[in-house]
Formats: sequence, structure tokens, C-alpha cells
Amino acid sequence: METKRRRVAVSIIRTVDLTKRFEDLVAVDHLKLNIEDGEIFGLLGPNGAGKTTTVFMLTTVIKPTEGTAIVGEFDVRKNPNDVRKLIGICFQEPKILWVSTPWDVLNWHAKVCGLSTQERKRRVKKVLEDVNMWDYRRKNVHGLSGGMRKRVEVAKVLIQRPKIAFIDEPTAQIDVVGKHKIWNMIRELRDEGSTIILATNELYEADVLSDRVGIMHKGKLLVCDTPKTLKDSIPGGDIIEIRLEKEVTPKALKDLKKFQEVVDIVTVSPQNLRINLNKVEEVVPQIMKLFLKNNLPIMSINMSEPSLDDVFAHYTGLTIEEAQQKGAP
Amino acid sequence: MRLFLQYKFLIILRAIWFAAQIAFFGIIASRMIDPKLPLADIYFEYYVAGVVIMMLYSTSVFIGYDIFEEAEHGVFEYLLSLPVSRRELVLGRSIGGGIRSFVFVGPLIVIALFVIGFTNPLNFLIAFLALFLFAFGVSGMSITIAVAIKSPDRFDILMGAFNAFIVRLSTAMYPQAILQKTSQAYAALAQFNPITFASDLFRWGTGIEQYLTMDPTMPLAAIIGLVIFFFTFTFIGVTIYEKRLEGGGWQ
Repeated sequence: METKRRRVAVSIIRTVDLTKRFEDLVAVDHLKLNIEDGEIFGLLGPNGAGKTTTVFMLTTVIKPTEGTAIVGEFDVRKNPNDVRKLIGICFQEPKILWVSTPWDVLNWHAKVCGLSTQERKRRVKKVLEDVNMWDYRRKNVHGLSGGMRKRVEVAKVLIQRPKIAFIDEPTAQIDVVGKHKIWNMIRELRDEGSTIILATNELYEADVLSDRVGIMHKGKLLVCDTPKTLKDSIPGGDIIEIRLEKEVTPKALKDLKKFQEVVDIVTVSPQNLRINLNKVEEVVPQIMKLFLKNNLPIMSINMSEPSLDDVFAHYTGLTIEEAQQKGAP
Repeated sequence: MRLFLQYKFLIILRAIWFAAQIAFFGIIASRMIDPKLPLADIYFEYYVAGVVIMMLYSTSVFIGYDIFEEAEHGVFEYLLSLPVSRRELVLGRSIGGGIRSFVFVGPLIVIALFVIGFTNPLNFLIAFLALFLFAFGVSGMSITIAVAIKSPDRFDILMGAFNAFIVRLSTAMYPQAILQKTSQAYAALAQFNPITFASDLFRWGTGIEQYLTMDPTMPLAAIIGLVIFFFTFTFIGVTIYEKRLEGGGWQ
């Protein structure tokens, strides 16, 4: 269940024409982005869109070619040491020192992040239990499955509890039950005061977790807003399918077309209509009233909202899979 | 201790190899020395000390190979994102590499001390601590070169050439007194070599100082040399790390 939280519109990350070139390839192209303190910000896009490069620049792993970013109060170019004190990263691929157990990996990470011995032991134990890795804490990481290693990677951020957490593909290779558990932990982390930047190409994941999302494509930020606003921005993106007891009348159809929100009406059969419209949740009661007024009882009604996949397709003209194929390095 | 146990077989094999090296080659080499030469009687001890330092050098270099493995597994990005400065990071890697090489070479030092013996514990302690600095410096040098050239093949070739150059051009195997009689230029170059500093210090620590460098300021000169060596490669390592890695990816 999503926890209610107080939104504070204070910018914690601000990029100014942030650009990264690798020889001829422009991985990130004059990115202008504002991320608010305390939000989960979903950075979306297919592979090769520039998400990971952006995350690497914001976390001082690589230097921008042009432009800069302010993380917290610090410029990534001028004060990288201060930036690193604010951040924690869960990488796309688990980054594990190759001769250690999950306990060693997390304990070492917590130590480097400055946690006291007692606090370190307490947090490592709790998080290992939370991600269902306690029983495997003494196993060599070589022997762990991809999903288990990913859980260890996510656990690093959960132990560190940084002011700003960058989480790249948090649930890749993780089963459905594990996914929900990790999503809840990410929400808890946000509720405890962290700002989360979630880089993912799993649009459903971004939809359920993010307070706002930014969609990147070919190194540029295409749009940035709440998932709902983005979905509402697609003309006729909502769809309702109505099954009537009787055949629809021309008058009812005429009245239906008078709604500003209705974009298109398809008569699938005389008793079945498919209506493309905006703001479905506001208009449906009025539409139901209209049919009843026209003596056309409704047998069933099926509503569907656009997904972020539709948003991506609307702004790029490509499905995420197509973009993935074209953009993959 | 965990590292020691993890690599116990490797370390035991290395110790056996070392014992065989000094038992066969060391004894044979020492018997090949002209008995009229002033140090012929204890060349064996001299040789043992030199081999220990060469082993310490070669195991400290190994951290450079780890860099390529880390790059392959993407551990670099993780390390670069940690809340530590680049200086701390490079220093940590150098010290870590140095300590690891001591874990590997530790049993060999014990064998060497058994063969050579030592009379002055304080001297030996000073020499021993200086050897840490040597191991850290070699690790720093190896990291610097690995990060600078970014290619495991080129690194391998370069370190092979470097190894041949730096080890041969030192007093690890050949006493300074003999070098000076053979070639003044060779002796002069060997005098400013970290392996010379480390070998001479180890011998000074174990009490076979009459075969050291002719420099009367020993051990101070050798210690200063190792300090300079260590700081030079730490500084260069930090600079290279920032420029080569943060510049954008590994290769």
C-alpha cells in the first residue's frame, strides 16, 4: 500500500545542460532536469537512452563533458567529495568484490559509509533478513544466483540509507514476490527522508513506484511529470468498453459526442461501444447517466487507462521494445 | 588471517618453492662466487634476502592484474561512487595490495630469517616497517600503470619488461661493491632503485650490512628513497585515477 507523504517542492538535484560524449556518441545531450527532495523520481527509457550515464555523472563516477549538476548543494564538478557523501547507488549489474560473502560485502560497504560497528551489524542483519538473504550470508557470492546477487546490491543502499539513492533496475532478475518486497522497501526508504532516483526500463515498475517520471530517449529528456499527468497528456488515451442491453441509438451517440473529453467512438457492434477519451474517472459517471437517460441500461463497462508504455510510444513514435532495438549500443 | 586461510595452498606452495630456490639455486650460486671476493663467504645469506625482496615486489605488482578483473566486473564504478576521496581510494588500494603481498610473502620472510638470523631486533623492526612502505609503493606503481594503459595485454608485456629492468638493475642479486667494480654507470643507476633500497634495508635489518651499498648514510637514504617512491606513485595514482577513469569508462 502506498504511504501518504508530504511533498516538498525543493530541488535536490538540478542539471544544467549536462552532457556526456564518448568520442562521436552523445550519450547525454544537454540534459535539464530537476528532482525534488523526498520524491521517487523514475528515470525511464530504453537501453542506450542515457539513463545510466546520467546516473554516473550525478554520482561523480564519470565527469560531464559539458554542463554540470548540482546535487544537494554541491556541484559534481567542483565538490565531488561532498556529493559522494550524500549519495548511494544500487547498480544495474551487481557490483560485488569477488572473493566475499554477502555479509562481507555489506559489512564492508557499511564500514566505508561510516557506520559504527554496532549500527553496522544491526543494519546488515536486518536488511539481509528483509531481502531474504540471511540464510545465504556466509555463502560465496560466486555461488549465488543473479537474483540473489541483485538483492545484495539493493541491500547496500538500504543499509546505507543515503540522502539521495540512485537505484538502477532494482528488481531485474528478481521474482514477483521479491519485487513487491523491494518496492515496499524503496517506499520506506523514501518515507524515511531519502530521495530516490529510479533508473529503469520497466515502465510498470516506474508507474507504481514513482512520484514523478522523466522519459529519456537518445540522451535527451522528452517529458517529465507525474505518471498521471503524463498519461492524461495522451489525447484519447483512456478507453472504455461498454456493453448495452439494447442497441445504441443515434441520439445517444450524438449526445456522447458532445462530451469534450470524448475523442473517438467505435461501434464494435450495435450493443458494444469502444470510446477513446480523456480523464476517464471524471467522465464515466456522466456517460452512465447519459445512457440511462436514453433508456439504454448498461450490462458491463470496462475501463482502461494508458500505461507509461503508451506515453513513451506517444512521445517517441516507438514502442519501448522498438526503441530498445534501435538504441542498444 | 582470512586471506591467509583462503590462499593457504598457494602460500604453502610458494613457501616450498622458495625453500627449494634457496636450498638449490642459492647454495649453487654462492659456491660459484670467487672465494677471493670479500663477500663470497656469506653470498648465500645475501641471495636469500634478495629473493625475499624480489618475491615481495612480484606479489605487490599483482594488484595491477586485479584492476583489470575489477574493470571486467564493473567494480570500478562502485569504488568510484563510494564516499571517499580519490586519494583515500588509491591509498587504500595501494595499502591493501601491499598488505596482501605481505600475507603471501610472510612465510618466506620467516624462512629467510631462519636462514639468515638477525641480531638487532630494533634494526629489523625498522627494516620490516620500511618494507611495508616498499610494498605499498609497488602496489601504487602497479595500479598507476594498469589504470594508465588500460589494457591487460599491454600491462602484462610492460610489467615483464619493467620487471626485467628494475630487478636486474638493483642490488637484489648483485652487491653494490661488485657492481661498482664492474660498471660505474650500472652501480649509479642501481643505487636509485626501490628494490635496492628494500634489499639493502632488509640486509641491514638482519645484520649483513657490510655488503650493503657503499653509502654511509644507510639506512636513512634507503628509507627516504622508499618514502619518496611511495608518495610519488600515490600522487601519480590519484591523478591518473581521476583523469583516466572519471574521464569516461574503462576502455
